[in-house]
Amino acid sequence: MTPCTVTTGFFVLGRCGRPSVADCPRCRRRVCAEHADPQSGTCPECAAAQGYGSDDPHDPTWIVRYRRRHYEQAHASYQGGWTTYDDYDRGAFNPGDDWSYGSGDFGAGDDGGFVDS
Amino acid sequence: MERFHPLHRALIDQRGFTVSLRRDDWEPVIRSLAGHGLEVKRRKWAPPPRTATVLVPLVRVLTADMRPEGVLSVAADLRGPTAPGKATPEQQLPVRHPVKSLKQWFVIDPWLRMRAELRDGSVLEFQVTDRIRHRKLRKTNPRGKIKFKRKSKTVQLVRVIRHLPKGAAHRRPDTPPPAWFSVRVKTGSRMVIRATGKFQGPVADPELTKAILQMTTEPFRWTPPGTITPRRKP
Repeated sequence: MTPCTVTTGFFVLGRCGRPSVADCPRCRRRVCAEHADPQSGTCPECAAAQGYGSDDPHDPTWIVRYRRRHYEQAHASYQGGWTTYDDYDRGAFNPGDDWSYGSGDFGAGDDGGFVDS
Repeated sequence: MERFHPLHRALIDQRGFTVSLRRDDWEPVIRSLAGHGLEVKRRKWAPPPRTATVLVPLVRVLTADMRPEGVLSVAADLRGPTAPGKATPEQQLPVRHPVKSLKQWFVIDPWLRMRAELRDGSVLEFQVTDRIRHRKLRKTNPRGKIKFKRKSKTVQLVRVIRHLPKGAAHRRPDTPPPAWFSVRVKTGSRMVIRATGKFQGPVADPELTKAILQMTTEPFRWTPPGTITPRRKP
């Protein structure tokens, strides 16, 4: 028997462990009957990643979507906003390896394109 | 309304409850609250607004981390700050012309306390308190008329405490917590991590829930995943 590997909990994370009945079509992890989506068969985390799930806390499936959002926000607030940028975003601020502070991008007599009137 | 869960009815009639229930006993309460809008349309009989925005989300989060035999205790007093017994006695403050008298009193409203036994053996507590300062002053204007003015200022105090099981391994996190709350740690055989935050002004309820959960993240950073062995019953 392969156990269900869906993540449970909010702060104390664990695995479901019930007998699995199917594979998630997106991530291929084993899912039990309770955690498989009745229509698509995806696991709760894949459904949350696709934007499906409820915003109503009365709904039992709310916790998975909210946990995903909470961990994203907590990561940003604990690490600072910088880590939420990808390489493309950071690249705009990267001056390159051959950059130096003193006479870096501009030549000695280069005034940066300003013109005397 | 007779078919509603007793705690649901307590929220409607008494605007609060104090109860300790096992994990699975909370699901009928939430299910009953979820069906309220279908059964009752009158706003007078609606549960307090903080039920859906703060209480239910926190119960959902805590029960997700509990074992079936774990107990979640909730003391919710959602009557609001105007309920009797929450105001401190008035005190006179020193004044100068043109103010004739200045009275000050506080309203201390500890409207939510929760305690949950988590599945890793630790115990998590929440305390949310609204502290409102009221000032009422009497003054004369240049033409000799008596004028009254009132001011109030709300501060919301949130405290999150996690009691680790005896002898649990822990380590200080690599990065500091956000600057908007403070963390104190009591070491010993049973370590206690306490996060305390203070918010100026009445914060919107969904934002408050988010802030409580952000603060709750901090005590869990002190125990990396898998370092605490779950407590087993003999």
